[in-house]
Amino acid sequence: MTVDPDLRELRELVAEFEPNRGHVLPALHKVQNTYGYVPRPAFEVIARQLNSTAALIYGAATFYSDFRLHPPAETEVAWCCGPACRVLGGDRIREALQEELGIGFHEQTDDHKIGLHVGQCVGTCHEAPQIWVNGKVEGNLTPESARALARGLKGDAE
Amino acid sequence: MNTKLESIVSAAKSSWAAEQASGRIRFMVTRDTSSLARGADETIAKLNAAVASKKLVADVGITGSWGFCWMEPCVTVRSAAGTHTILYGNVTPDRVDEFIETIAAGKDMPELALGVVEGNPTSDIPLLGDHPFMQGQVRRVMANIGKIDPENIDHYLANDGYAGFGKAIELDAEGIVKEVLDSGLGGRAGGGFPAGRKWDFLRSATTSPRYLVCNADEGDPGAWVNRIVMEGDPHLIVEGMLIAALAGHADEGYIYVRYEYPLAFARMQKAVEQAYARGLLGKNILGTGKDFELIVFLGAGAYVCGEETGLINSIDGYRGMPRIKLPFPAQAGLWNKPTNVNNVESYANAPMIMRNGAHWWSSISDAKEKGTKMFTFSGSVNWAGCVEVPFGATIGHVIDQWCGGMREGRTLKGFQPGGPLSGLATANRSLTLTLDPYRELGMFLGGGGIVFFDQHTCTVDMCSFFLGFCEDESCGRCTTCHGGTQRAVEIIRRIQAGGGREVDLQNLQKLVGTLVWSNCFHGQFAMTTIKTAMKAFADEWREHIIDKRCRAGACRDLDSGMVTRAPVAELALAGTSGPRPASTPVRLARGGHRPGR
Repeated sequence: MTVDPDLRELRELVAEFEPNRGHVLPALHKVQNTYGYVPRPAFEVIARQLNSTAALIYGAATFYSDFRLHPPAETEVAWCCGPACRVLGGDRIREALQEELGIGFHEQTDDHKIGLHVGQCVGTCHEAPQIWVNGKVEGNLTPESARALARGLKGDAE
Repeated sequence: MNTKLESIVSAAKSSWAAEQASGRIRFMVTRDTSSLARGADETIAKLNAAVASKKLVADVGITGSWGFCWMEPCVTVRSAAGTHTILYGNVTPDRVDEFIETIAAGKDMPELALGVVEGNPTSDIPLLGDHPFMQGQVRRVMANIGKIDPENIDHYLANDGYAGFGKAIELDAEGIVKEVLDSGLGGRAGGGFPAGRKWDFLRSATTSPRYLVCNADEGDPGAWVNRIVMEGDPHLIVEGMLIAALAGHADEGYIYVRYEYPLAFARMQKAVEQAYARGLLGKNILGTGKDFELIVFLGAGAYVCGEETGLINSIDGYRGMPRIKLPFPAQAGLWNKPTNVNNVESYANAPMIMRNGAHWWSSISDAKEKGTKMFTFSGSVNWAGCVEVPFGATIGHVIDQWCGGMREGRTLKGFQPGGPLSGLATANRSLTLTLDPYRELGMFLGGGGIVFFDQHTCTVDMCSFFLGFCEDESCGRCTTCHGGTQRAVEIIRRIQAGGGREVDLQNLQKLVGTLVWSNCFHGQFAMTTIKTAMKAFADEWREHIIDKRCRAGACRDLDSGMVTRAPVAELALAGTSGPRPASTPVRLARGGHRPGR
């Protein structure tokens, strides 16, 4: 398990931010970029730095799908939910991945090696249907190739 | 012209000229999100290695996307003498070695060539303008994209950059607003509200400070026009916002980029830093005594932050929930001060209006909507790319000319004109790309991301998908929206699972009437897809509910009524395996039919 960073480290990390509501998202981004997620104590630390309340910071953070409150898996797989992928068979890719990995969306395998997420379309629709493996596009998938890819990821993890 | 600007521009022009006259071959490789997905970094690395090992005597640079997204990475090769430039497509990592060998041998590579950009056509390679994808396009916002390095302000300055701002400095705020009003520039995110009027609201506001916001939270799945501009020519947006700042006496601007576009965010940030360094932003801009601060702001993944007041709340550090209007942002927006929100493309058009005048700008379009519009196309068509065209082309023309036709074995069933809130249209090939026809159908032409679908797509399934998206992305404020989308999704999923009841259609219709009372556009338009699909594809809905049959074979708990009875998985295979468009030789049509204007 990942241990939450200590408070002094967190305070130093957000020291540049000021009591300005416009600094809430930038501060959360900085914390997530550093740790890969926003650890629980960060809300209180950011709140103090910004002269706000932990409830407001937590409220903001939990509104957005890209702030993680738990450490990411070693390999993050994101399935593109866009319409072009859907039209070209993306839903079958989802089934294949979920079956092969044995997890649903926003879940991780028991060993925390692989996590599965919903990814939003960024306009690489020429590669549809596609997924991202740690941010890298794997495109023109078929259910078979998606299964093989997922098996490969599991194999790497073992 | 402002003397400080003049000296910056002339310095930039001489550095640009020196680069162009280096006497070496010049490679410009597309480096954007699309080309990175297809291995652009590897292509660039191999080109650099070839230069380092002296195999090539050349300069290697990066550029934005030409719009040939399905054939990335694209590379322009400018001859050492500077007389001839050819654009190549599909220079993927597996073909780049062959490409380097060929160029190093002093030859062209017709099998990868898309066309000649500068100079005369050769016997094998026609002009780029003759490529069917380029015919009928009018590239204004995209004029520099593909030709300049988006990370180099000198390239922008040397190609008429900041000239529109230079003209704007000499006008007063009323003059700028009048020019933009005269041009007829309408909001480019789908609303079409005159940008000049918005700017005038800000100009005539009575309090300060005043804020400008650029909405670059391009959340519509299937749309990437703003990404193309931000990754290809970020200074165009900076200049557009500077002009708007002069027009509206704005003190501070924010460019809100969605989290999913890290490269666009980085490029915008770099552009803003460069503009500060040249004195184009900050205090006392170019010695005019005007101040304008510009901040690039990163979103965090929320579709509803594309709604202007949701976006404002997001910058404001709250949950990105749209506010209740009134007051409008023009009266009380960011930090409760007068705020003007425009789309990326709206700002990007302003420099051209100032530079060349409203008359020139509006002369291009015969339609009511003036100027050009960028569109991206995807789905069941062969080419997924980005074009910039005058308003008014028909859907049939779009598919034949700019999408390379439908994919093999797929016939057009319908399309979605722009985002999950815009609705579903039937395969009406005579619909034009203008705002009115969609309004008449109870839908709207959105931000430019058109997705085509075919007979293997089930419209009930598409509704399930889009409503699921709207449900996920509902901010939760209005019961009509968060509860309504949940009910609608439940009903549709039950229909898909074989539990359809006749009363479902009436209940969905009731939800259509309920959700329009939501606070923001998200709720008001969340049911557009269902509303339009139940009308346009009524047979299919009845089949699902009464016959428990899905003709497309997508709802697998129902009988497949498809003629071919092929499961969708296999169809997906048929459509995407085999040689990609990547490895097929590119044959260029000569003198193909031109759009009807």
